[in-house]
Amino acid sequence: MLGFRNRLKSLDWTWFKFTELLLLGIVAGGVGSLTGIGGGLIITPILTLVYGVPIHQAIGTSLCCVIATSSGAAASYVEEHLTDIRLGMTLELATTMGAVGGSLLAAHLSREVLAVLFAVMLSYAGVSMVRQALRGNTPEPQGADSYAVRHLPAGLAGSGAAGVLSGLLGVGGGPIKVPLMYLVMGIPFKVATATSNFMIGVTAAASAFVYYSHGDIRPLITAPTAVGVYVGAGLGTHLMRRTPSRWLIMLFSCVMFYFALSMVWESLHGGFPR
Amino acid sequence: MNERSRDTGQRAIVFVLRYGSLAATLLMALGLAIMLSHGAGTAHDAPPHVSLARLWVGAIGFEGDEIAECGILLMLLTPISRVVAAVGVFLARREYKYVLVSLGVLAVVLVSIGLALGA
Repeated sequence: MLGFRNRLKSLDWTWFKFTELLLLGIVAGGVGSLTGIGGGLIITPILTLVYGVPIHQAIGTSLCCVIATSSGAAASYVEEHLTDIRLGMTLELATTMGAVGGSLLAAHLSREVLAVLFAVMLSYAGVSMVRQALRGNTPEPQGADSYAVRHLPAGLAGSGAAGVLSGLLGVGGGPIKVPLMYLVMGIPFKVATATSNFMIGVTAAASAFVYYSHGDIRPLITAPTAVGVYVGAGLGTHLMRRTPSRWLIMLFSCVMFYFALSMVWESLHGGFPR
Repeated sequence: MNERSRDTGQRAIVFVLRYGSLAATLLMALGLAIMLSHGAGTAHDAPPHVSLARLWVGAIGFEGDEIAECGILLMLLTPISRVVAAVGVFLARREYKYVLVSLGVLAVVLVSIGLALGA
């Protein structure tokens, strides 16, 4: 067992290793495209814990994969009229400004405390969404005119906060923006995830270029994972059509709880890069 | 604004999203195939100096590492291209409020990239 783990951690290149990262990408891309959260929260811990990849390289790979998920899924969702581009761009303006603010605040705030608060918020949102799903209150989207956007100011404020957290904690905006759109703004769940898919790539792009310029996006690790993510995202969009919103909400809530736990774990183990 | 122009705009955004990311993925896959066929080293080697000139020379010379990196760089550019496409679509539809919103997003992203790279 120890010998197997050492071989895993060496990352000497073989077709076997390439296939492992490809499969990791497919799973992450599929989950990411179905839930609108990008898949990075699956990729980063596996790269660091299983493969021993340094945290900055893992995050760099994760950001590229978030963009791959976003780009791979968004084309289909826009074509199927699931994505609310106007709402997405409006919320993205608040998010990108929040991300800039977050990077300026980084030196003055405790990331560990923020991570715990974020975990509490995620857990609360996850419970709320499960309760909605169990009540059967999960209408399928019927086109752009089937819903009205509610509480836009709250949505903008929440998106700004998502951007701040994105800049501070290195997380994507999806875990905040999907429940924000669904629970607060009255957006059908599939429209919320499709719109989030459209946005998260933009949010990730600014940070991704920084990691690239520092040499933290390594082709040997990133390329097979991103190729897998692109394939997985495409598979996810096909699944989205066939899966009732209720089951997607359950999946999303499980991912939220896992994400909350990982935030607490990282805050206790000093996992946020400086 | 009629339904036909709405569909045309949407098709433009779909085109940019789909074929931009597909081209990036194909480049990464090609680069990987070349690296594996030549027997790539370990992923823990010291990162090479980030240089567009190195990328260009390597890609022309069919070096797998540089071709894959070109694909990665193209993938990183796809979100910016979708915002540019959205600006064009909103402009064509005369939805000036969303032209301004999209330009704002583009400006913030480009400024934050520039500030971060310059730091």
